[in-house]
Amino acid sequence: MNKPAYHAPTKAQRAELEEQVRKSVERALSRNIPGLALQQASLELEVGPTPKEIVYTRDSLRLYHYLPMTDEVYRVPVLIVMSPVARGYILDLAKGQSFIEYLLLQGYDVYLMDWVPPRREHAHLGMKDFALDLIDESIAHVQQDSGETEVSVVGYCLGGFLAAVNAAVHSKGPIRNLVCFTTPVNAEGMALYKAWVETQAFDIDRLVDALGVIPGDMINASIQALRPLQKQANQMQLLNNVQDDAFVKASLRFDRWATEQLPVAGALARDLVNDFLRGNKLVRGEYVLDDKQVDLGKIRVPFLHVAAEYDHIVPTAASTDLVKLVGSKDKNEIVVKGGHVSLIAGGNAVYRLWPQLDKWLSVRSV
Amino acid sequence: MEKDKLNPMAVWREWFVKSEKAWSQALTEMMGDEKFSKGMGRYMQEALHSHRMFSEAMSQYLANLNLPSRSDVLDVSDRLGQIEDTLAAIQVELRQQRIQLARANSIANPETGGETAAPAKPARTRRPPQHQA
Repeated sequence: MNKPAYHAPTKAQRAELEEQVRKSVERALSRNIPGLALQQASLELEVGPTPKEIVYTRDSLRLYHYLPMTDEVYRVPVLIVMSPVARGYILDLAKGQSFIEYLLLQGYDVYLMDWVPPRREHAHLGMKDFALDLIDESIAHVQQDSGETEVSVVGYCLGGFLAAVNAAVHSKGPIRNLVCFTTPVNAEGMALYKAWVETQAFDIDRLVDALGVIPGDMINASIQALRPLQKQANQMQLLNNVQDDAFVKASLRFDRWATEQLPVAGALARDLVNDFLRGNKLVRGEYVLDDKQVDLGKIRVPFLHVAAEYDHIVPTAASTDLVKLVGSKDKNEIVVKGGHVSLIAGGNAVYRLWPQLDKWLSVRSV
Repeated sequence: MEKDKLNPMAVWREWFVKSEKAWSQALTEMMGDEKFSKGMGRYMQEALHSHRMFSEAMSQYLANLNLPSRSDVLDVSDRLGQIEDTLAAIQVELRQQRIQLARANSIANPETGGETAAPAKPARTRRPPQHQA
């Protein structure tokens, strides 16, 4: 049997190979060996780097004021209402990749309603507490702290739902402008969740009574179910880009945020399932909260809705009715390419979306 | 990059990433099926029931072994949460005190603004750039 012919590498081939090995070793050493570096990076990832002070706290609410970054700010302060199922640091993920930092650099005075994980003693907090009481109290503290009577409110995801409900109930209140990012209002557009909760086998009362607070893992699993293989795809993308440090860090930050969903107070979960997912009361005009009719048509302040074309968590079918239902004459919708999170933390948002938001908000903030 | 294309694992991973959306959509549609939804609802009820039974049975067993149960761990977690609440309330109070002290100092020493004056608040006079206005 003939042995395959073996050709010794040429001098040039050897030199090229040596060069490649040298570069690989240098790269590995500079990153303390990729596998270890990934572990280390995930531990050291700093999120929420923008300096802030805490202004008010109640239950699972933390109201923060971000320290201004310009000598002059717009007259009307901005209050961001974060979704109570997600960590607020997605809005301030890293330096240069922070929605909040962007607003500060454009000259806004920024406050954030952020949430810590609710405990068993918070299980009774429902939609009224979140959408009315806590937002009202936060607005009052922003007014007191800033010295201004008017406040622009920006809500993200479920935070947008809370903000819109508040603005509808207090249509003559202090809200100067309302901006909702990818805000669900029509449960028909959330086909999977609607299918799950509409079967008689799904007993939300029993779930809430048994658990008190719906665990973050359960929330995480229900979000994962909307795109079950996305996590695996992200990991593969990470492997394919393991030599790109910036990509690795950004990916790990997103991954950390995505897995850190907040638990949900039982009463809020019950209200969302019964009034929103099952009853779809907001778009039907049947939503009553604290004996007050929630009519989005009563919102008269300048209104902007921002939606993402490829949003799988809040598809445009679930959010687009908001613009139609809001009664403001001055209302707009911006639909950008991207997903649910890339609107407020994506690398391109800083070039594509945020300048459009700034253009809309700045002229209405003086 | 050319070399990566020759890596079969990288090519497979690239294919997975590109086709993930379609696979995910198929799985999500399957999970939205009535049968699946009913099954999931029933599974959840059973899981809640067995969780309760198991917790009750285990709590006595763990107490005998002098080990903490899930409920004990939750109690500790709640206590930590309450301590964090208190710390947050103290931070709020300190901020208030600092602001009041700074105000009092600037009234007492209007020229210097007081040694402990808080950083001057920016004027709320910003106007949008001309091209946006």
